[in-house]
Amino acid sequence: MEEEHPGKAGDPGEVSRYEFSGIEERHGKIPKWLACVYVALLIWMVYYLVRFWTDKG
Amino acid sequence: MSQEVASENRDDLVDRETVLRLLLSAAFWLVFAPTIGVILSIKFNYYDFLGNVSWLTWGRLRPVHVMGVIFGAFSTAIVGLTYYMVPKLCGVRMYKESWSRALFWIWNIGLTASLVSLPLGQNLGIEAGEFPWWSNIIIEIALIMITIQVLVTVIRRKEQRIYVTLWYLTAAYIWTVFNYAFGHFILPYSMPGVNNAAMHGLYIHYVVGLWITPAGLAVIYYFLPLAARRPLYSHKLSLVGFWSLAFFYPFVGTHHYIYSPIPYWTQTIAIVASMMLIIPVWTVLQNFYGTFVGSWKRFQESYTAKFLIIGALFYLIGCFQGSTEALRGMQRLTHFTDFVIAHSHLTVFGTFILWVTAGMYYVIPRVSGHELYSRTLAQWHYWLTVTGFSLMASVLTLQGLMQGTMLDVGADFVDSMVAMKPYWLIRTLAGATMDVGALLGMWNFYMTVMHGRRIEAPAGGPAPAEPLWT
Repeated sequence: MEEEHPGKAGDPGEVSRYEFSGIEERHGKIPKWLACVYVALLIWMVYYLVRFWTDKG
Repeated sequence: MSQEVASENRDDLVDRETVLRLLLSAAFWLVFAPTIGVILSIKFNYYDFLGNVSWLTWGRLRPVHVMGVIFGAFSTAIVGLTYYMVPKLCGVRMYKESWSRALFWIWNIGLTASLVSLPLGQNLGIEAGEFPWWSNIIIEIALIMITIQVLVTVIRRKEQRIYVTLWYLTAAYIWTVFNYAFGHFILPYSMPGVNNAAMHGLYIHYVVGLWITPAGLAVIYYFLPLAARRPLYSHKLSLVGFWSLAFFYPFVGTHHYIYSPIPYWTQTIAIVASMMLIIPVWTVLQNFYGTFVGSWKRFQESYTAKFLIIGALFYLIGCFQGSTEALRGMQRLTHFTDFVIAHSHLTVFGTFILWVTAGMYYVIPRVSGHELYSRTLAQWHYWLTVTGFSLMASVLTLQGLMQGTMLDVGADFVDSMVAMKPYWLIRTLAGATMDVGALLGMWNFYMTVMHGRRIEAPAGGPAPAEPLWT
């Protein structure tokens, strides 16, 4: 595997190359909108588990 | 560019003959199993279609369709693609290639015998685990063989880092070796009553979530950057997608038994886990579309790209349907209706079968060294599949919502069935359209291998990176 370094290692733009397959991948980042989805779902999960752990009728 | 060409063509690592044999046998199953589905759908319109011959009745043929799609069409293609992807991601040839050649026969003979035995009445009675006990031994042995091959090849790899495709593939094989044994050797013989039902819910969703999903994601992660000719958007996202799938999916299965005697908190955990699957699904899709941004013209040029992208669209719809239908309110409306069938078709066919088809469009010309036989056939394959399947998924979803609503307001069950008649006819026509498309596509693959024009390598240089129209 070869690595090209547009920035320092771990930068979102850093591209790694897999020599034998020719696949390249960026280190990348998590977009803000998706991070918001994660947080919203985790909050909902806690609420739902507490609210519906038992059948309150 | 020359480096790209050279590395894309490191097919000397691949056992070409075995890959081609497996992919061509997958092409057969890809036509056979959906055709059984069309035959079954005709029975909705004409209940006495095929008469009273016991082995052609609904109850005998339906498992042939389900097991044929899961283990014939999808899994055979995955095994073939595994023997292409793993050596190239590891930089070494597959461990024990003689096993691969044997596995081609073991897998296909085992499958054929199993699928023939189902109409004859040999059935374990566990949905998605219906093969008779003797054939399960054959398939379990085949799964153990390929799992060992994959693991040892990964351990002996020359490539330093492990690409996300290898995470998904190794996990899928390890999970399935255990899950197959659980579903076929433990479940039918132990745990009576409601416990068996609960465990069956887990088994059937492990087939979907710990085999079909990770193996299918392995395929799109491998072929998407190559089809787009761009780097994968985010390694970080692929980490989130993999681990969130591994964490949440094991709890999903019990959502088949909402409003059942299974403990309420167990149902709640299944509902929560189903909704939390939005995290891996949206994460994976962000990674796909992020990779493709700026490469949309490849959608016109490449059949691999076409099938991957349309599969990703169905993945978004199908998985959102699956997550939300686990909610108690939606479950009340949709359970025991065709909404569930719409979901299973959107995910298994609309997503994963289309993704392995994309992989076949990429691999078959490269491994055979032949250009794709016919671009016209590929066009017909694509458009008949997309048209037929879009129609089928829409009709099934609509049917499910109609049935649920009618029953919810107190309509008679028979009336809810009578109202479905026109939709059943559309469903059959849509299925037949898809089948014709699949037949053309698979014929194209066969002709590519047998009669495709040889890809000429330029003098002194490596073979062209991109055979025409793949």
